[in-house]
Amino acid sequence: MLTANIDNLKAGGASERRSALLGLARRLTNKRAAPLFVLIALCVLITIANPSFIEPRNLVRIANSAAVPLTLAMGLTFIILLGSIDLSVEGSLSVAAMVVVLLAANDANTNQFGWLAVFAAIAASTVMGLATGLIQTMLRIPSFMATLGVWFIGLGISVYMLGGSAVRLMDPSIRNLALARFAGLPLGVWVALGAFAFACTIQYHTRLGRYIMAIGGGEDLAELSGVNVRRVRILAFGLAGFFFGMAGVLSAAQLGRSDAVIADGRLFAAVTAVVVGGTALTGGEGGVVNTLIGVLIVTILGNGMILLGVSPYVQQTAQGLMIIAAVALSLDRIRLQIVK
Amino acid sequence: MKTYSDIRSFMSAGWLQGAIPPILLVVLILIIEIAAPGFLSGETLMLLLSNTAVLFILAAGVTFVILIGGIDLSIQAVASLASVILAQLLPRIGLWAFPVAILSGLVFGILSGYVHVRLKVPSFVATLATGGVVAGIALWIADGRAITIEEGGRANTAWINGTVAGIPAVVLIATLIGLVAFFAMRYTRFGRYSLAVGAGEPAALAAGINVPRTKITAFAVSGMLAAIAGTILAARLSSGSPNLANQLLLPAIAAVIVGGTAITGGLGGVARTAVGALIISIVRIGMTFVGINIFAENVVFGSVLILAVAITIDRSKIAIIK
Repeated sequence: MLTANIDNLKAGGASERRSALLGLARRLTNKRAAPLFVLIALCVLITIANPSFIEPRNLVRIANSAAVPLTLAMGLTFIILLGSIDLSVEGSLSVAAMVVVLLAANDANTNQFGWLAVFAAIAASTVMGLATGLIQTMLRIPSFMATLGVWFIGLGISVYMLGGSAVRLMDPSIRNLALARFAGLPLGVWVALGAFAFACTIQYHTRLGRYIMAIGGGEDLAELSGVNVRRVRILAFGLAGFFFGMAGVLSAAQLGRSDAVIADGRLFAAVTAVVVGGTALTGGEGGVVNTLIGVLIVTILGNGMILLGVSPYVQQTAQGLMIIAAVALSLDRIRLQIVK
Repeated sequence: MKTYSDIRSFMSAGWLQGAIPPILLVVLILIIEIAAPGFLSGETLMLLLSNTAVLFILAAGVTFVILIGGIDLSIQAVASLASVILAQLLPRIGLWAFPVAILSGLVFGILSGYVHVRLKVPSFVATLATGGVVAGIALWIADGRAITIEEGGRANTAWINGTVAGIPAVVLIATLIGLVAFFAMRYTRFGRYSLAVGAGEPAALAAGINVPRTKITAFAVSGMLAAIAGTILAARLSSGSPNLANQLLLPAIAAVIVGGTAITGGLGGVARTAVGALIISIVRIGMTFVGINIFAENVVFGSVLILAVAITIDRSKIAIIK
């Protein structure tokens, strides 16, 4: 009787272990590959519905409209990997766009600093990022509140400097980011790919990247292992600001002007891309490669909805539902006892 | 160093957080009285109060969510959607457009709460997402344009723009909502539960409080009040638009925090938010008065928000500040 019981227990334990292993394997493959499968399925479905989707012209269009979101989302990925959030995306982007437009040749003043304007714009946005990091770590307030404040500070500054109107960008070499092509793709796309390569290098080959992952995985552990958490956080926000600045320059070049609404909807698209790509909001899981896939999903879905004749206004609704679905599916609920 | 830590313990004393906002409000009123005697009386006072009303209703709703330790970033979208629904339906079903618009806010508030609680999505992302969903729906319904409330519809919104015994109707509505919210917070089970959940969720759970229901109710209240604010805004401007209330998210949250409600939850209330909303309104008037560019207002509000959060936050509640 007793042995039978023990045998039963053993058998139960073994099968339980096996199913647990199976479940784990399934979960790992699911989690890793799910965004990629979604991307492929999306492409196939849209192609079936409207074959003009895979025409080279449309693919270039997709690459072009993915350039700004990709650059933005690179920056945001590092912040989300930390387990924080950066809501100041739109503020930093509009500041960078404002700086580049006002310093390069434009129709509002006589400045003509050319490419110096680009560097100034990226620098301005980087400084804003560093300031965000300082505010968050020194005043010790949650990042969503600190960046909510910085979002509107940035927006206020840029609209104020532009005087509430749209200023046109006239510098031909900066405009070439959007107009000139190399190997069939607009230069801006190459810049975005460069940003992606840079982000990959930082994440996989630098100490900063490792530290960001470590902090996201467990801030207390990272701190105990001797990581200077405060410095890494400030640097990460600065890095994010750098990417937002690049995106600001790109979007100013693409639009050929800067105005109050240049950044509208960018935060939303960037958060969707990062989250849909599979980077966990809890931090320490995912990365810039995930985000590349996420950006492609978001951009291709938008493109496909236009091809299928869906009202473009519904796009935001679709993105919102995607955020909810992706976060709900990817959250590690065991680690997350209380959700605020 | 000693004085520094003294200041610190002084700042963290609870009474001070409750006392700063009213003192600040009185100081601001005094400054305006000295700068422009008689400014805060009669017509201009009523105008100030009517302008505060919409902001206060929005902020009162968010107060409930912030008290349970969450945040609602979808209020401006919900308010805009309500304005669009009102503008679309007024010519067709008359006064019934109001309950329909307000009901939409309730529904999306419940949706936010449900996503946050049942799917365990952090509230700032959950409401960012539902805010996007709602904004998309509003754009779709309005076809991306602002809808003017025509002459026929305006007959049904006149009561909002009118006055009762010399007091604008919007001020009376805001006062009524404020009183109901105040008493709901203080004397109903839901109000007490909200404070308990905000003060310490594990303890609230252990005490047998239905935490999920309390949270969803808080989001529902926030959505409903946001929709009410949206309908009033639409009635006052005689138009509904998918981005009508976009500029109100930051001032509304700032009003809650400046009033002295802690972002960490459990501390604060609707009365404090009323004070905060008045402060924000007076600062706004003051800025136009001093000649600060209207575009720079956001810079001031953003900085004020960060400062107010830094002062009111209860750091003992969060082990790691993310």
